[in-house]
Amino acid sequence: MRRLGVLTIAAAIAFSPLATRAAEKTLTIGVSDALSGGGAVYGVPEKRAIDLAIEQINAAGGIAVGKDKYKLAAIVYDDKADPTEATNVARKLIDRDGVKYLLGYCCSASTGAVASIIGREDAIMLVGTAGARAITSAGHKNVFRTRPPGDYTGDAAGRFIASQGVKRLGVVAARDVALFTQYRDALIKAFESEGGKVVAVETFGGQDRDMTAQLTKVRGLEPDAYFISGYVEQVAFAHRQAHELGIKAPRFGFSGGSAAQFLRVASAEAMEGVWDLIAIEFNAEALGENAKNYAKAYEAKWKEYPTPNSAFAYDQVYVLKAALEAAGTVDDLEAVKKALRNLTVPKEVVLRYLPVDGKMFDPKGQAYISNGAFQFRNGNWVFVKELPSDAAAYSKFFQTVRD
Amino acid sequence: MLVDLLQQLFNGLVIGSIYTLVALGLTIIFGILGIAHFAHGSVAMFGGYLTYFLILALGIGVFPAMALAMAGGALLGVVLERVAYYPVRNAPPINSFIIALGLTLIIEKSNLLLFGVDQIIVPTGFNRIFTIGGLALPELRIYILLTAAALVVALTILIQKSWMGMAVRAVAQNRAAAILMGINVHAVSMFVFALSSALGVAAGVLVGALFAIAPGVSGGLVVKGFAVLILGGLGSIPGAIVGGLVLGVSETFASAFVSSAYKDVIAFLLMIGVLLVKPEGIMRRSVAR
Amino acid sequence: MIRPVLLAVVAAAALAFPHVVTANYFIHLAVLAMVWMIVAAGTNVIQGYAGYVSIAQGGFMGIGAYSSALLSLDAGVPVWLAISVAPFITALAALIAGYPSLRVRGHYFAILTLAMNMVIYIVLVNWIPVTGGEAGTTGIPAPEPISIGTLEISFERRVNYYYLVLAALALTMLIVTAVVRSRVGRVLEAIRQNETFAEAAGVACWKYKLFAFVISASLAGFAGALYAHYMSFISPAPFSVDHSLNAILAVILGGSGTLTGPLVGAALTVALPEVLRIAEIFRLIIYGFALVVVVIFLPRGLVPWIADLAGRDWKLPRAQSAESR
Repeated sequence: MRRLGVLTIAAAIAFSPLATRAAEKTLTIGVSDALSGGGAVYGVPEKRAIDLAIEQINAAGGIAVGKDKYKLAAIVYDDKADPTEATNVARKLIDRDGVKYLLGYCCSASTGAVASIIGREDAIMLVGTAGARAITSAGHKNVFRTRPPGDYTGDAAGRFIASQGVKRLGVVAARDVALFTQYRDALIKAFESEGGKVVAVETFGGQDRDMTAQLTKVRGLEPDAYFISGYVEQVAFAHRQAHELGIKAPRFGFSGGSAAQFLRVASAEAMEGVWDLIAIEFNAEALGENAKNYAKAYEAKWKEYPTPNSAFAYDQVYVLKAALEAAGTVDDLEAVKKALRNLTVPKEVVLRYLPVDGKMFDPKGQAYISNGAFQFRNGNWVFVKELPSDAAAYSKFFQTVRD
Repeated sequence: MLVDLLQQLFNGLVIGSIYTLVALGLTIIFGILGIAHFAHGSVAMFGGYLTYFLILALGIGVFPAMALAMAGGALLGVVLERVAYYPVRNAPPINSFIIALGLTLIIEKSNLLLFGVDQIIVPTGFNRIFTIGGLALPELRIYILLTAAALVVALTILIQKSWMGMAVRAVAQNRAAAILMGINVHAVSMFVFALSSALGVAAGVLVGALFAIAPGVSGGLVVKGFAVLILGGLGSIPGAIVGGLVLGVSETFASAFVSSAYKDVIAFLLMIGVLLVKPEGIMRRSVAR
Repeated sequence: MIRPVLLAVVAAAALAFPHVVTANYFIHLAVLAMVWMIVAAGTNVIQGYAGYVSIAQGGFMGIGAYSSALLSLDAGVPVWLAISVAPFITALAALIAGYPSLRVRGHYFAILTLAMNMVIYIVLVNWIPVTGGEAGTTGIPAPEPISIGTLEISFERRVNYYYLVLAALALTMLIVTAVVRSRVGRVLEAIRQNETFAEAAGVACWKYKLFAFVISASLAGFAGALYAHYMSFISPAPFSVDHSLNAILAVILGGSGTLTGPLVGAALTVALPEVLRIAEIFRLIIYGFALVVVVIFLPRGLVPWIADLAGRDWKLPRAQSAESR
């Protein structure tokens, strides 16, 4: 039922800017995100964060571009995290609605599809949570991303697992989402370079909710620890079933969902002690004053605590604002692209970005943040420690790859 | 190693028991009315959603909620029979099949509209786990096996012992003779749909308790049901039981020892295999319709 | 006598369309509509003429799309050749899958084709090294430009691709018309009306059914190839069972067993969501009701019904026997 509400809001937002505020200048941006289906746990919070940022910016007077003040409005579509749907949505936004700035984008496959065609289009795409490497590594000049790619974090995670004294690791992971496979491969490589051994790599598909067979098989190989990664909806089932199978060994993971999202499927008992090794997305304890204010505002508007990934989307809007103000135009996309490339980290953003050469985005339009280890304790995620990660070194490597 | 095999076998039987329930509903409709009731999976999901909301709204336990939802499912089944299938009862079979596809779309998407797209897990409170020598037997899975078994027994008694059950068997054996004997075939049709839909709802609830109810689950479920139907023989209750368990166990073992990616192909291979080895049995029956 | 005139008018309108309606988005929709018309025209051969419901058309479209895309991307085959070969690859797949499936009748066949579509989908999703899995395949090239004298026609331009697909649709209609007006077409109708009788009359029905199935599938594959090189990106999603149902709906809605009906049906299924501008979920529910209502009240479909209403002596091929469909 909740989703229906969201769709109604999306529809309302989609049609309202045409009717209202015709007098003052309005910049309409397009938002494409998974508002239904398995990706909705990431997409809906992103959309909400974008709504919040727009509301705040408009309330503070809008965006100062040259002599004009622009208020922001958004046309929102549900891309269902589906690649084909997302390309259709991009087509609609660009061809039919005449939008020049595309925001949102929570999920790898759908975003990858849009990124692959966006190079030819007259638009700028700001990517939120989607983590597949190719989205930015392909080098399209009009794609910028706040979230670091999966393998950047996977490498740090592999070393962390080895440092916990794990020698034999059993892997149960999403089969084909690039974010997860790239993270997993980087994790395995780093873990093995530290002397560990991966005893099995079992996979599950996008619709699977029964990982019992895979877990039972890995259990038979008696690993010291498990690594389980994928979208929250599925990984929560894997943790529940691991618990049902009496698996006691530590379980590491990579999903980035909120505690509430996990607890909808698995009991707190089944989740106790599980690790999530992710980029330090949103965590008010680990981050500063902006983060606390963001959490307060988000909670006031949406009656729930922000999910970790939502901050990427919130920051997108402020990044766009800063770039438009620096460029002094909303129509000259070349100038805006240049402004984005030269942007220093804006002061309003929530996450702690690690600038490369003093700039927020590296030459391929990729931003970086630090990585961290979180553990599920007594019904909630607790920030344990920061994982050592070298953004500059990774960025150098990143410039050399295209997939 | 043996423990792992037994573990996989147990898990396979649990899933197989759900397939059995789905197939039983399909097989009595197909066997008696000759309708490939494609919307059965969506009806099952509807029942699962309904149970979930009954539990939340009325604060009742899973079994009473499931009983209510089964009654609701039975009613839905009767409505479908009256409104959609009855008008095309004398038309070529392709018409009833297209009706079935239309109903699938309507029910499937109405589920979305009514209940949303979030996956829903039917809360049971059965969280204990029993362990026998390394074999993990979660309480929930044991209850699922028992529930499925109880429903199968109840169905068998109903078909074998009740007056309506006798009428159903008479129509299945010889429709014309049954009509001559004064059996009300329309009443039998409605009864069959009610019975089958109630069973489907039960299957939906079990899926929702064990995994989740979500858009897209029903399509896979109904294909598995038809595979069991072909595997076990048309209209055969023992066939559906054995066929369901065989499919569940083979999928689990295939997932563990061959490829978890291709486990859903097994149902298709079994169907093709059976049709190739003994198509005449199946063709004879379909001609009879 | 109204038919040739009508045909000429429609052809002229189709040719003029991109110059009258210049908005990119509508040309995009028109291309998609024509792709679906090709699928529907193919579906009509097995469903409308032979009387067998195949729920695998979406899957076969996928086989055509992926084989053409991968041939041109990975094997370096020229795009024109890849698009031409794709229907034959699809036909081969249909031949292999259809041979055992067509030994059974009625509902069993429908269920088997449904399972077939699911298997195709599972393979597209899981054969990751080749298909790219759910994330799909990107960077599929458009057909190589054609040079006529100094004029170079690039198919990266949407208008030019529109004419390409229009030509493909015309070719499809020529093939389908030839098939259904031949002896084969009459045998297929005999099978639809009474297969046991046709069998008793000494017709090897399975050969004709297999032929119809293969033709249907290969046309879907052809459409899939055109779709892939138009979109430049494909993923398994558009080739799921839902889209097979879409093709069936198009045929039923427009009028199964007529040449024009499926085209009208396909155009409607693409145009409706844009015209109505409603959430997809309502559209699909409306589709469901449309299927049920049309089968119960208008079993012949829209086109024959409208033709009757118009009171014309517009004799559609075998409209007279449609009540036994």
